[in-house]
Amino acid sequence: MRWVGFAAAIVAGLLLTSCRLIATADVTALANASAPNGAGGFDPDKMVASIWSTKVVPYIEKKAGPFVEVRDVAAKSPDEAGAKYGYRAKSEDTPWTLMVKLDGVIIAADTESRASTISVDASGQGKADAIVQIGPAMRGTAIRDALDFVSFNDFTNQIDFARYGKAFNTYVNHATLEKLSRDALVGRKVTVLGAYPLVSPAETPLVTPVEISIGPKS
Amino acid sequence: MKLRYALAGMMLASAAMIGHSASAADLIAIITPSHDNPFFKAEAEGAEAKAKELGYDVISLVHDDDANKQSELIDTAIARGAKAIILDNAGADATVASVKKAKEAGIPSFLIDREINATGVALAQIVSNNYQGAQLGAQEFIKLMGEKGNYVELVGKESDTNAGIRSKGYHDVIDEYPDLKLVSRQSANWSQPEAYTKMETILQANPNIKGVISGNDTMAMGAEAALKAAGRSDVIVVGFDGSNDVRDSIKQGGIKATVLQPAYREAQLAVEQADAYIKTKTPPKTEKQLMDCVLINASNADKLETFALKP
Repeated sequence: MRWVGFAAAIVAGLLLTSCRLIATADVTALANASAPNGAGGFDPDKMVASIWSTKVVPYIEKKAGPFVEVRDVAAKSPDEAGAKYGYRAKSEDTPWTLMVKLDGVIIAADTESRASTISVDASGQGKADAIVQIGPAMRGTAIRDALDFVSFNDFTNQIDFARYGKAFNTYVNHATLEKLSRDALVGRKVTVLGAYPLVSPAETPLVTPVEISIGPKS
Repeated sequence: MKLRYALAGMMLASAAMIGHSASAADLIAIITPSHDNPFFKAEAEGAEAKAKELGYDVISLVHDDDANKQSELIDTAIARGAKAIILDNAGADATVASVKKAKEAGIPSFLIDREINATGVALAQIVSNNYQGAQLGAQEFIKLMGEKGNYVELVGKESDTNAGIRSKGYHDVIDEYPDLKLVSRQSANWSQPEAYTKMETILQANPNIKGVISGNDTMAMGAEAALKAAGRSDVIVVGFDGSNDVRDSIKQGGIKATVLQPAYREAQLAVEQADAYIKTKTPPKTEKQLMDCVLINASNADKLETFALKP
């Protein structure tokens, strides 16, 4: 599993560098990538690849709760749900990012858009309880924002912090989402480990997956 | 003149008499860009109101985005014995030395709105989550554009990280749509008149544009005015800030959307953190703090007032 992630990271790195025509210099930069605050050599993709399977996935697996339970607690008390299943940087007006294990059936799929999504019924009531981003384009920075060991303080500025946030989406896209079949998704079972920002309990959660598996028709 | 000296003398004397009593008001210096942009006016007023509420004297100064002037104003704050500086700065790199100078003089700085490219110099850097906000604005823009057409981007002042981060947030979303074509991307330096003239020129070279996405509201207002003057009210304009001017334009069917930065609250929060530090020497838990933005369009423009949403 770790090896697959590593290989995907290398492929991602090659894809990124090949279109810049200065491959040699970039490979050196990749090799020299270090602390986030280093002025040169900031390489968010490499930083994410280095912690994905050792820190990111285990942390989210441990913290995540069953989706329906998390959603119901959040509807009553965002802070209670946040404390139990989530994380937020300690400043006011930052929404909680909640971590969930989502099991359900795909009841709708939008695969036309570059930002493709599936709608998942997790409570058996025939309506969308969550919308899951399946890439290749993904919005937001939910994975980054779920991690209690990541701080904006450690980055030079918002631009680097945003690039770091996007690198998680890029990683999961290459490691998992690209390999998903996009055909006949409706009616299939799906299992997702992921995170979503609790913008408003009234809004259908938009989950960014960390791991996803799509099974046969239920 | 003589009278002023006499008054000053009396004030000094009375200050000396009150001596160490808690009510001898400490001074907080508030330094921002020009109040011509209502955004900076609102944050300066937000900070001032909170500082006065907490019993401080206030000097409010503007640096007009001139780093040299900003350095002089920091000197002024030091000379006046300010206990804290609330600063919306004049450049991510150029400001570091000024804030360091204040720190060495024992005066903590609490930054709002704009970052500097250094940590450990200011005690706080409270900024809007510009990347999150820009993604919201871009998603609304895409919807309004019907996912296709030629568009223009107006970018802010290059020395300000916020110009770059908003542009990145826009493009991380918009560039996923190959039928949306960027025909011109220019800086109008956050300025309304500059955006007006740039928009006029852009429109002459590219008459078949469908939308304009702007890095802030003043530039959006400038672009909207130029488009209206050219009889092109059909062009979709989206801004960023959440000013009352753009709110009113949205309500009149002009500009279509903007993104609210909680500027008023950010400024007040900075003063609260300064107050905590002055009174108990407790610095904020984390220096760099992000506050999320909210999309504003015709559905919620009514609730917007002075960079805050009414409940």
